[in-house]
Order: sequence, then structure tokens, then C-alpha cells
Amino acid sequence: MSPSLLRPIFVRAVSLGAVLVIVLVLLVLTLGATGYSDRILEAQVGEELRVMRTGLSESVTDPDAVEEIIAAQRTELEQSYGLDRAWYERLPAVVAQVLVFDLGDARSLRAADGSNSVADIILERMPRTIMLLTTALAINAVVGLTVGVWLSTRPGSRADRFVSYVAAITNGLPAWWAGILLILIFGFWLRILPQGGMYSTPPPEGAIASFLDLGWHALLPIFTLVLVSIGPSIYVIRTMTLNVALQDHVTVARAKGLPEGLVRRRHILRVAAPPIVTGLILGLAATLGGSILIETVFAWEGMGQLYFKTFSGQPDESIIIGLTFMFTLIYVAARLLLEILYVFLDPRVRY
Amino acid sequence: MRRRSILRQVLASTPGKLGVAMALVLGLLSLIVIVTFPLDFGPTQWSNPAIWADHPKTVPPAWTAALTGDAVEHRILETSEPAETTERGDARVEIYDMAYEHGASEAPSFLSFSLGDVRFEERPPSLSVTLLRPDGAAVPLVRTTIRGPRAGEEPPYQRHDETPLRVLLTSEPETAEAISEMLAETYGLNVPASVIENDTVGWLFGAPDEDGRPAPLAGEYVTQVRLALAAPDDEVAWLRTVVGGTVFGLLGTDGSGRDLARGLAFGLPIALIIGIAAATISTAIGTGLGMLSGYKGGRIDLLIQRSADVINNVPLLPLLIFFVFVFGAQLWLILTLLVLFSWPGLAITVRSMVLGLSGSQEVEAARALGASSRHILVKHIFPHTAPYVFTSLIFFVPAVILAEAGLSFLGLGDPTLPTWGQILEDGYRTGAVFNGHWWWVISPGLLIVITAMTFMLLALAFEPIVNPKLRRD
Repeated sequence: MSPSLLRPIFVRAVSLGAVLVIVLVLLVLTLGATGYSDRILEAQVGEELRVMRTGLSESVTDPDAVEEIIAAQRTELEQSYGLDRAWYERLPAVVAQVLVFDLGDARSLRAADGSNSVADIILERMPRTIMLLTTALAINAVVGLTVGVWLSTRPGSRADRFVSYVAAITNGLPAWWAGILLILIFGFWLRILPQGGMYSTPPPEGAIASFLDLGWHALLPIFTLVLVSIGPSIYVIRTMTLNVALQDHVTVARAKGLPEGLVRRRHILRVAAPPIVTGLILGLAATLGGSILIETVFAWEGMGQLYFKTFSGQPDESIIIGLTFMFTLIYVAARLLLEILYVFLDPRVRY
Repeated sequence: MRRRSILRQVLASTPGKLGVAMALVLGLLSLIVIVTFPLDFGPTQWSNPAIWADHPKTVPPAWTAALTGDAVEHRILETSEPAETTERGDARVEIYDMAYEHGASEAPSFLSFSLGDVRFEERPPSLSVTLLRPDGAAVPLVRTTIRGPRAGEEPPYQRHDETPLRVLLTSEPETAEAISEMLAETYGLNVPASVIENDTVGWLFGAPDEDGRPAPLAGEYVTQVRLALAAPDDEVAWLRTVVGGTVFGLLGTDGSGRDLARGLAFGLPIALIIGIAAATISTAIGTGLGMLSGYKGGRIDLLIQRSADVINNVPLLPLLIFFVFVFGAQLWLILTLLVLFSWPGLAITVRSMVLGLSGSQEVEAARALGASSRHILVKHIFPHTAPYVFTSLIFFVPAVILAEAGLSFLGLGDPTLPTWGQILEDGYRTGAVFNGHWWWVISPGLLIVITAMTFMLLALAFEPIVNPKLRRD
């Protein structure tokens, strides 16, 4: 790759890195300035002391002695959590750590292997989310390209109009509600698909059976994701292809007598490819946030469900910061990937 | 393009016709709701359990009875005229009959009795309620006396003028006892009260079958009230008995017996106001900043474009959830956040449009004539971007409605306003999906989709006008 190509990508990477830092600083500022961080930590200290008090009351009989031990323990705990310092002294270190992927430890949540490291917990869940989203994206891309390109050769036909209406309707269809509806239909009424979760109870023995079971449970969430995005995908791909197909160079290519297949591949699709790829990847990035809702509906134990659970149960600061960081990182990485792909796909991009 | 011709073009397309028609219907309906509902419907009615006490809980809409062919209609019987009066000196006994036909093959969901506006001079009125069944049996249900005078209270005494006296007959332990006695007398059957308690309504409205289990008993039931009044001016203004339906209203009820049709109706203007307000503000900010950025250039341009770039590159939903959790679920906060996160797209597009326009002959001519920047921006640049801006405004309305619904579905909606998303969340959280309470999750979602779709169709109809390339001829 020539330097003329590397430079714009580098500039973009720096600005996207800045986005990451800004989001983190904003998070920490909000957590600190609103006293939310202090409240979470105080609740944690209070909980640990309560457990300790129950333990002490069995072995130590003198109530004054208990109070004394508790008070000493409180000071120690407050120090170890950094509660004795103001949030603006405590939290900058958190930002610095998170930026080098030191995400800290979770309080009560554990990964499957018992690790309480936030990084382990997130890494355990990330593949589940990625699997769901990328499978849906792949189906979307294949169906979208096939049908979209086919439709672009028949603008204004009945099929074309039908797809444009389907696109308009599904644009207003929230994926989480579509998911609920599908669970109701296939999980409750017909009882042919699981109502949620990732594995059957009891989980099947063996790696292959286990994988098949996972796929069985992924069927409905993936179908939901495809259902709500396939209409718009087809429509967008059709419109982009159509826009290119109407350009002069295509007319010229046809006038030269090139075979139709060649015209479509080299003169239409090749030109329409960059915006189509952009659209698909941006769509993936957009569903990343939506995974919070979809995973909650399907009890799919991915990053999104974890994110929601962290807030709705006992808030855990390290998980909140770590997960928001990871969400932003994936989002930003998708953008950067796009930037790099664009340079390859569109030779005109030389900044 | 003149305004009238734009409207004509919109109406010429099928999505345009549909969209305009649906928008008119939604607008009209929300107007009706705003006029007929109190503005504090949320806290005073929707979240007030007393109002919904006499409603059946979690029952499907009434029209489903037509499909299944069998359901108990929800009936409220009220009377203030006694069927019979026996006078004994100053005192009198009044008998009230509230009769209803029961024909369905299932029992009602409950039977309740209430009375209100009691007035007495000296001795409090006492009453007994009996259910007369079609098989001739009479089940004494409740026997009570209105609370007597307190120390220092002057006659005439008023009771239950604000909160009626209400007895849920089918959950009183005495009811089960009475049914047990009735079964022994009428059918010679020995069923202990503790067994009857498992299905009080079924036994009250049924007769034992061969297996000694309750089978529905059709015919006329009468809730008979005997009221003993001590003085001529003593009175009980009204008596009511409610036979809880197994279906209710247009859209069914939720787990607290709330009429979903009312809650969802109130959600319509809220959704429209939320969507249109946030979309308008965000579009205004996006357009304003975009024009400023494109026309002024320099540092302002850099600042606006950099901020737009940052906001455009953050994942919206996780951050929205984060902020709403930290700051609390208030509607104004949710809307402000949505506006803050959504202006950049439009600002970037408008900026590039302005850049193209500021080199145009029209703008150069205006500048040569000495027009101010403000004048040029408002009169010569904005009108060219207006159709695009308007279309993105329409596109943005459903986006806001869906975002609010999504947040509400996660339990982050403003608790003082019942929105569609919150009603759905309520149903989902209490297991409506896994118990098959479809009416509780389908109608709110469908309303969200219909409302969002209306704006999508309008935008679809506007698009070819803004971008003539897309016209289908």
C-alpha cells in the first residue's frame, strides 16, 4: 500500500481513537459528577460490612468490640475502593486502565470458568453477540444482493413496488417487538422453536450436539434480525444499483455490444459496490446497539443482555465502563474497517 | 416548487395517499384523546389501582368471544330502586334484586358487590347479600353493618361518599363456607370449604358433575341485597354488583385489570408529541448548524464538523441507556438526549448542500447586491435545502418514536406517562409472552408500527419530490 493510501487511514484512525477517549471521559465524568460512582461503591462497602457483621455476631459477643472491628474494616474498605478520595482523583486512573484493556474485576458476576475479570466476562459473551449479528448480516447481504440486483433490472415492476412497501413497513418495525411476536407464534402457539435462552435444559452432551442446540436456539433471533432488515437492505441495494445502471458509461458499454452479464458485473456492480458495502457494515454497527434489546428479548447471553443486566440489577461500575468501552470500540473499529475497505473498493479515493 | 403542487404530487402516489390518510386518522384520534382524557391521566387514573379494581385481570378483548363463541361478558349492574319494601314503624327493610343471565360454559372471573353514599340518623344500616341461583339454591354471601358514629360526630352521618364499600365476594372465606353448606343441602355433596376455595367462582356459578367437580350452571342468577334501615330518612344511594367478564373491552385488560384500550389511546398523542417535538428540534439544530458550518467556514465549520463526527461515531443505544440510568427516567431528559445524539447526520448533509449553493449564481448575485449573510442564508440558501430538510424531519419522527419505545421496553420510560413501550414492557416483564397473553403485547407494538409506518409512507411519498431521480414514470 502506498503512503498516499496509508495517510488518510491513519488520520481516520486517530480521529476514531479520539472518539473512544471522548466517550470514556464522558462516561467517567457522568459517573463521578452525579455521585453515581460513589453510590455504587458505598452500596458495595455496605454490603460487605453487612456480611461481615453477620459473621462477627456469631463469634464475638461484645457488641462494642463488633462495632470497633466494623469501623476499622469500613475505613480499610473505603480506602481500597478509593472512596476516601474524590471521584476526580479516583476516576482518571480508571480511564487510563480501560484504554490499555485493563478492565478490572467484576463484583458479583463471574465468567463460566469462575473468573471475575471483566475482560474475561466480556470476551466470553462477545462471540455470542458477534455470531448472532454476523450471521444475520451474511444472510442479509446474500439475499439483499441477489434480490436487489434482480429488482434493479425491473424498476417499477410489481415486485419492485412490493419490496418498496415492505421496506417502508419494516423500517418502522422494532426488532424487539418482532422478536416478541415470533416467540409468541413459534415458541408459544406452535411450540416448534425455543422461547429463548441459548441451550436446552438439560444441555445436550458432546460438542456437536451442543453446537446444534445453540444453532437451534439462534434460529429465531437471527430470523428476527433478518426479517426487520432485509426489506430496507434489498431496497437500498436496488436503488444504488439502479442509479449506476442509469449512468452514461453503462449505456456506452451496452452500445459497444458487451454481453449483458459482463456489463452488470464490471460496469454496474463494481461501481455500486463501495456504497453497498458501506451500507451493510453501517447496518451491522447499528444493530450492535439494538442487540441490547434483541438479546434481552431472547434471553441470549451476549454483550447486550449483559449490558442491560448490569444496570437493572446491582450496577457494577467496572462492567458498565468496560462494556460501554467495548461497544464503542467495536463500533469505531467497524468504521475504520469501512474506511480501509473503501480505499480498496473505490480506486478514486486517494484524498 | 409551489406548496400546492407538492401536496398534489404527494397525493398522486399510493404511499402518499395512504400516508396522508393514516396521518389524518392518527391526528384526529389523538385530538379526541387530548380533549376527552384528563392531562394527568397517568398518575391519577392509570397508576391508580382503585379505579381498576372492578375490572377482570388479564382477559382478552371482548370481540374474541365472537371467535371462540363462548365467554362471559363483563357486566355492571347498578340499582337504587328497591324491588320490595317492608316497613316496621320507623324502620324498614328494602330488598334489591340485581339479575343477570349466565349462559357461558365458563364461570365469570369474579363477583363483587359495592355500595356508596350512605346516610343515617342514628343506627347504622346493616345489609346481607345473597346469591340466588338458577337451581333454586340461595348462597348467603356477606353480612355487614355500616360503620357507626364516631365520638363527637354529629348526625346525619355520611358514609362511603368518596370511597365506596366494596366486597370482592368471590374471595371472601365466608363465601366458600356458604357454598359448602349449599352443596350439602341441595346436592347432598360433602365438599370442604378449603377445596372450594381453589375454585370459588367455578362452584358459585356451577353445579357438581358426575365426578363431583363444578360444571357451569346456566340460567338466571340474582344478587339479592337485604338492607335494614332504622330511620325514614336513612338511605343507601346506590348498590352495584359486578360480574367479572372473561373478556373485556376493545383491547382486553392487563394484569392489574387496567383497560388497555384506554391506556393505549392515551399513548397515541404522547407518541406523536414525543416524535414530532424531538424530530423538529433536532432537525432545526441540524439544519442551523449545517448552514452555519457550510456558510461561515473556518473554525466554526471545523468545530461543528468535528463534533458531528464524534457524535456520529458513538453507539447510540448503549449511551442512551447509560445516561437515562444515571440521571433517572424523565421524558424531557430522554428527548434531550435523543436530540443531542441525532443532529449530526443532517448537519453534515446540509453543510455540503450549502457549500454547493454558496457558489451559485443566485447567491453571488445576492451578495453583489449587498445582501447580508443572514438574508442570503434565509432567503437564498435555505429554500433550496428545505425539501430535503422536511423529508428528513418526517423520517426522523418514527426514529424517535421507536427509540423511546425501545427505552421504555427496557423499563426506562418516564413512569408518570403511560407510553406504548411501557405497557409492552409491563406485559413482557410479567410473562405475557410465555403465558400467551397476546393482546397485551400485540396491540401496543402494532400501534407503534402503524404510527411509525405512517411517517415512513409520508417520507416515501416526499422522496421523489426532493430527489427527482427516484421518480417512477
